[in-house]
Amino acid sequence: MNQSTAIEIRDLVKIYRGSEKAAVNHLSLMIPCGEIYGFLGPNGAGKSSTLNILCGLRRQTSGTILIEGRDFREYSREIRQKIGIVPQDIALYPTLTAYENLLLFGGVYGLRRKELDKRIREQLHTFGLTSSKNKQIQYFSGGMKRRINLIAGILHHPCILFLDEPTVGIDVQSKRVILDTLKELNARGTTMVYTSHSMDEAQEICTSLAMIDEGTVIETGSPASLLEKHSECRNLEEIYLKLTGKRLRD
Amino acid sequence: MTYKLIRLIHKDLLSLIRDRAGLLMLFLMPLTLVLIMTNIQDNTFNVVRESRIPALLLNLDQDSLGCAIERELYRSQTFDLHQSLDETPLTPQTLEAAVARGEYLLGIIIPQGATHAIRKNVARYINGVFSGAPVNKEPDSVNIRVFLDPTTKSSFRRALAGAMHEYSMQLEADFLFKEITREVNKISPIPIDNIELSRSQVKITEQYAALDQDKLLPNSVQHNIPAWGIFSIFFIVVSLSGNLLKEREDGCMSRLMVMPCPFALYITSKVVVYTVLCLTLSCLMLLMGFWIFPLTGLPALMMGHSISGMLLMFLTASLAAIGYGVAIATFSTSYQQTTIFAPMSVVILAAIGGIWIPAFTMPPLMQHLTTLSPMNWGLEGLYDIFVRDGNFFSVLPEALSLTLFAILCFGVSAVYHHHKKNT
Ligand SMILES: Nc1ncnc2c1ncn2[C@@H]1O[C@H](COP(=O)(O)OP(=O)(O)O)[C@@H](O)[C@H]1O
Ligand SMILES: [Mg+2]
Repeated sequence: MNQSTAIEIRDLVKIYRGSEKAAVNHLSLMIPCGEIYGFLGPNGAGKSSTLNILCGLRRQTSGTILIEGRDFREYSREIRQKIGIVPQDIALYPTLTAYENLLLFGGVYGLRRKELDKRIREQLHTFGLTSSKNKQIQYFSGGMKRRINLIAGILHHPCILFLDEPTVGIDVQSKRVILDTLKELNARGTTMVYTSHSMDEAQEICTSLAMIDEGTVIETGSPASLLEKHSECRNLEEIYLKLTGKRLRD
Repeated sequence: MTYKLIRLIHKDLLSLIRDRAGLLMLFLMPLTLVLIMTNIQDNTFNVVRESRIPALLLNLDQDSLGCAIERELYRSQTFDLHQSLDETPLTPQTLEAAVARGEYLLGIIIPQGATHAIRKNVARYINGVFSGAPVNKEPDSVNIRVFLDPTTKSSFRRALAGAMHEYSMQLEADFLFKEITREVNKISPIPIDNIELSRSQVKITEQYAALDQDKLLPNSVQHNIPAWGIFSIFFIVVSLSGNLLKEREDGCMSRLMVMPCPFALYITSKVVVYTVLCLTLSCLMLLMGFWIFPLTGLPALMMGHSISGMLLMFLTASLAAIGYGVAIATFSTSYQQTTIFAPMSVVILAAIGGIWIPAFTMPPLMQHLTTLSPMNWGLEGLYDIFVRDGNFFSVLPEALSLTLFAILCFGVSAVYHHHKKNT
């Protein structure tokens, strides 16, 4: 197995119980190490489903997933320790403070108190949340919650980071600091898989991307190579619309 | 692992403590219920036990036997004994009329010459035995008459009459032995000791259970503290399952499950935190029985003689409750569903299990159903300690049932949890 492949997805299928349509439909992908890999696609395309299977939250109906060459089903313990997730919906304890939340999520990765405390302080500083450290999450604004949601996924310095729409519904400032942090993490060697609806954002930070519709990959490549290939389109959005059509989704 | 567990426990403790309203309900609901229900039930128990039964006594004998009966009746504290009606001395007729009017529940007439009659019987019997001649004549019977208020419930009347009957037999026997001793001493050159028969073997409280008198008295407190202790332990199911569902709907549980945090560890943290909570509630319930109840005029709780048995029961009941809560949460599909189902099922299990109304007062069909409720197992175990004066070993069957129930709940939940990944 090629050491420089971070994630390999082979013929992945996910059919949820009680639905006849496949949410993920024979999807295959290779994600090399060091990329910021974007999953672009309309709502219901199967992006979150794919991410959830990748991080071990759900099990696929069929197909194989190799993370750094290892099957999740056999090495789940090791793989869980190496990956980080930033879920689409804010997943934080509302009655716990920012610090207490981070203490828990960092602690579950086995980070000891002293080191953990240092990292939390650093991150809170980076994201401009130092003064809100001891405030309960329920009193945070949407942008602040998003930032904490991200910090909770990166405290343990994961090798692979899964981000499910990390910038949805927040102000420009919060989005900026999140994107900058992602770029910086990537520069330090973290591979990222990232879903979004924002073409501008994808064009800015993704080194590679896959357009997904109806559970399967319809186009892959770097933003530059895609623009080259579809020379009649001026930006990613036009390519996207050309490939996925203007039909509204469920 | 231990470090992760500590972090999880820290989280669960904080979540629990920050939920002020939920916590308040967890503590106030059972404590209020126990106070109200015990006071209500205390009246029922009182009629039979605590408050004295108004009774009339006409002692026409005024000799040893009559005086002994009188003394014993006063001593038993069961009766509020009167020997006159509005300052006028009693006659058999006025006594009977007063009882019939319902002014007194009970009237007792000790006939004239009762002592004499018994003495005569004894003397005749003893002489007969020592002279070798057969005792042929029927002994003069001593007839102590007991009148009962006709309007009292028949069950109570029967119990009281039975108790009175045994009671007077006891006295009579006691008296007889003394008389026999006296007669024998008269004719025997070697004096023999009084043959003392234990006095305190028969009491009205016999109708509850066979108990050693100076130990645990069955009363509403001894019944209600265990019952509501078990209820308060199981009532945490509401908080626990709500907490689990909130965690699931907030996405926090999924997040933890993606992290290196096994489901078992996640649940262990809940078990630790909620066991501590349950034991705290149990302690409060005991303290309530000790200190608060006497302030409201109720008798104080009497501990049994097995702290270890009591602890075992509280602990295993806690485990069963936590297992039940985890199972409810695992199988619920929404927070709303849980917040309705959890309290409802606990109240129903409590009713079936004999928490609200003691099982022995239920119709026979319901009495069979009681054993279906884990709360009943807990209650029976605690009754062993608080009412039947059992020990660590006598509660083992109940403790074992509760533990098995807990294991079953945890097991089924874990299997279902892993199965859900595939859906
Ligand atoms: N837990 C689930 N149970 C049943 N169907 C689901 C579930 N999650 C997602 N789906 C369905 O699977 C499809 C893909 O959803 P999702 O992966 O969330 O899309 P995306 O993240 O790309 O918007 C949708 O049709 C959605 O309704
Ligand atoms: Mg999604």
